[in-house]
Amino acid sequence: MEDFLYFFTFQDSSIVFVVIGITLLGLGSAYVGTYSFLDKKALLGDAISHAVLPGICLGFILAGEKNPIYIVSGAFASGALATFLTSWIRSNTKLSEDAIIASILSIFFGFGVVLLTVIQKSGNPEMAGLNQFIFGNAIAILEEDLIIYGGLAVLIIISLTLFQKEFSLLVFNPDFGKAIGYPMGLIRLLFNVLMILAVVIGIQAIGVVLMAALLITPGAAARFWTDRLGKLLIIAGLFSVISGIMGTYISFILPQMPTGPWVVVCLSFLALFSFLFAPKKGVLSRTISRRRYLHKTHRDHLLKAVHHGLEQGKKYLTIEEIYESFPYQKSKTRQSIDSLIKTGLITRNQNFIIPTEQGKSEAKRIVRLHRLWELYLNEYMNIAPDHVHDTAEKLEHILTPEMEALLEKRLNFPKLDPHQENIPRDYDDL
Amino acid sequence: MITQVDNPILEIHDLIVSYDQSPVLWNVDLSLPSGKLIGILGPNGAGKSTLIKAIMGLVTPSSGYVKVFDKTLEEVRSQISYVPQRESVDWNFPASVLDVVMMGTYGKLGLFKRPGKKEKDIALSCLDQVGMMSFVNRQISELSGGQQQRVFIARALAQEADLYLMDEPFAGVDMSTETAIFHLLKEMTAKGKTVIVVHHDIHSAMNYFDWIIMLNMHLVASGPNDQVMSEEMLRKTYGGKLNLLTKVTDLIKQKDFNPLKS
Amino acid sequence: MMTFDQNAFLIIFTASLIAISCGLLGVFMMLRKMSMTGDAISHAVLPGIVIGFFISGSQRGLEVIIGAGILGIFATLVIDWLRQKARVQLDASIGITFTLLFAIGIILINLLAYKVDLDQECVLYGEIAYLPIDLWISDSGFNFGPRITYLAILNLALVGTFISLLFKELTLTSFDENFSSVMGIPSKGINLALMSMVSYTTVSSFEAVGAILVVALLVVPPSTAFLWTKKLMPLIRLTCGLGIFIAISGYYLAYLVDSSIAGMMVAVSGILFLASVLIQGKKPKFTWELPWNKRRLALEDKQL
Repeated sequence: MEDFLYFFTFQDSSIVFVVIGITLLGLGSAYVGTYSFLDKKALLGDAISHAVLPGICLGFILAGEKNPIYIVSGAFASGALATFLTSWIRSNTKLSEDAIIASILSIFFGFGVVLLTVIQKSGNPEMAGLNQFIFGNAIAILEEDLIIYGGLAVLIIISLTLFQKEFSLLVFNPDFGKAIGYPMGLIRLLFNVLMILAVVIGIQAIGVVLMAALLITPGAAARFWTDRLGKLLIIAGLFSVISGIMGTYISFILPQMPTGPWVVVCLSFLALFSFLFAPKKGVLSRTISRRRYLHKTHRDHLLKAVHHGLEQGKKYLTIEEIYESFPYQKSKTRQSIDSLIKTGLITRNQNFIIPTEQGKSEAKRIVRLHRLWELYLNEYMNIAPDHVHDTAEKLEHILTPEMEALLEKRLNFPKLDPHQENIPRDYDDL
Repeated sequence: MITQVDNPILEIHDLIVSYDQSPVLWNVDLSLPSGKLIGILGPNGAGKSTLIKAIMGLVTPSSGYVKVFDKTLEEVRSQISYVPQRESVDWNFPASVLDVVMMGTYGKLGLFKRPGKKEKDIALSCLDQVGMMSFVNRQISELSGGQQQRVFIARALAQEADLYLMDEPFAGVDMSTETAIFHLLKEMTAKGKTVIVVHHDIHSAMNYFDWIIMLNMHLVASGPNDQVMSEEMLRKTYGGKLNLLTKVTDLIKQKDFNPLKS
Repeated sequence: MMTFDQNAFLIIFTASLIAISCGLLGVFMMLRKMSMTGDAISHAVLPGIVIGFFISGSQRGLEVIIGAGILGIFATLVIDWLRQKARVQLDASIGITFTLLFAIGIILINLLAYKVDLDQECVLYGEIAYLPIDLWISDSGFNFGPRITYLAILNLALVGTFISLLFKELTLTSFDENFSSVMGIPSKGINLALMSMVSYTTVSSFEAVGAILVVALLVVPPSTAFLWTKKLMPLIRLTCGLGIFIAISGYYLAYLVDSSIAGMMVAVSGILFLASVLIQGKKPKFTWELPWNKRRLALEDKQL
């Protein structure tokens, strides 16, 4: 608790720096990642993040120390080489994109590991700092690092904001962009540069192995909350920053713990939460609305049963008769009856179920939609009368009043359905 | 204009197929006679391939069912043969023409067993039928579009089935190959096999097929060529989609789940 | 300096066995366009390894292999679940799944650092250099020889049996999955079996070459060989040959520059791959427009 207060009250200026740093680079990676996620190139980001390792090592060897400028330039160079090779091999050989990305990823990473062991055996005391690039250690970000990483992150965020229109075009419809005269090749190049930069600054905090998560997961999670690009970027950024700060905090209280894995766990938790609980698109919400819909269809069917009773001249149905029309669904039927009573569509008098005026009208509407659709299937789609019932049974619950009007007009206000049954209207008296 | 037949080789009952949440085929309800060359016609996006895939069990219908020889698909798999669209596979795959055609025999061969002389002979005779004997050991990546199509047809022949479903076997094929394939299909139907072909060209369809199915998200027509091929039917098939049907499809897409699935 | 003694032989022999097992599976993973899934699985088995290690108390336990096997299949199922139930696109499903599982593995290693003799380095690079001193000694004190070599032999035997038994099914489902399911061949089951073999191979090899570098052996030799041949059997033979060559040259180069043997093996395979690309690739022509996007779109259209 003490640690928690110490960390989150930002008494320590180095913590402030680290938090600012992780916020900026989280935002930058999430922005770039969201675009590449939408572009369906999430795994290229994974390849680039593995591919910067040899560059980092080379930068280190050349500088002889953990100099951020050398390391960033080295990482950028090897990331760019990997990106270029990937697209060159794609267009010049028969290998599939998948095999190329996997090959480039593991080859570059392998070279990185070789260089890493060479450095390790050279006995350079600064070596320890280099290991942090593999799994990340945000807490080790120094002030001088921050200026470079933070600066690059700001650059990425500004470029993405300035060129939002161009990049959306790139992701959404590059051929159209080209047709209206945008230099799409140049825009793609710029985007690739930004993506490599995002990876380069992110690895300090997350590490090369897990950097892909920072590119992929925020966008994928945010996609469940909104359909609009602007909001998508904000939510993705938010997820990424929250996870970044959480990971940093854990590295702060448990110093031997690398930051990257915790950031990823936190991000994935947010993503899983989004998959399950996001309104509208989440799994739970879809299940609930499906269940609600099924209850509504059952109520509709119950009203129809009452209507069929009316058609046969019965002013009411006994509750047993209703249970019999829905075999094996007694508890569900009881629920439906209760809820129909509550909404004032039927009333119950001892054992008798009697529709109210409103209920009669609603029942007529459902039967009308059912029979209209049957007639439409029969007349416009040439379906035999004995085959139209099942589909109408489903569509009667979803047709809107607007569709109803269209159907009536198209079928010229018909009196009878294909089974020669009356299509009930509100003015019909039963 | 939908003609139903008695003792059909294929019966489709009130089939609705959706991808995710958008229905692509509405209420297809038809029956087909055996021993005929049958063409499926319709504009792009009419659901022609989807219909074939639904018959083959490659997509699960939202409702309705398919019966072949009055049995479920699982019971008669070995009697049905399938030619997928040529673009559905990667032709860079390292295999020879013979390898691919032999794949047609794997269904009858069963798990773990290796193909032997018998399978090779079947494959060779099928290659002979499509006129590809001189390409037996050629790698498939070195074939032209028409040759690839012939290989796929030979593979289907190697299945030794009674009902053949072919998805666009004439797509991207030169005129002479098209005629050759057509004659082959004619020979097959003469031997009592039933061949169902997804086709995109109305003019050649008039000459090729005994029976024609016209689709445009729903079934417009199914019947003997001379009865179905009329200007009215073609206008219904190619003259835009049914307005109400597209509206309902949009309505369903807006929902969070597919209400057509039972 | 460059000697060929018993130790060198053991290391090269074991490394070759591992490279061949990986290559055999890798050929089919590549042909199915599932190389990245293989990569994801090799990351995702880590928590299984750690937990198995923790339960059995040693890295020799059967629990380690079972744990990793379960995680490998679990990862495949999670990827499928994300794609179908949560409707996340495939590449993102792969990315989310493997990063999460790998992260959990690393956290477990750190949390159990005192109880589990596994470190991050071992996970990354493997310890094939120590192979000759890691002996399998029976309870009665009999020395059978290096333990990892036995593991590699067993692994190759199982992979070999698996592939020769299901060769026809693996080929068909890789080429045309729809066609195989039409004929009633259980393509989903075969896919899951292949994924299980990949997870098992990853675990069996990770001590020697590291969990991440296993991927390189799974992916790079098949891709390299595929640049040189259009036929399946030569592709498989060439992949195996490359595996042996990579093991030999990787060992001696590592010896030369005093570096990780596994890392050097990957470096060698990388050089072979890039050289093959340069020789077999078409002449480069420079354009601003990277042709990537268009190609990919064309491919997606085909798949629809």
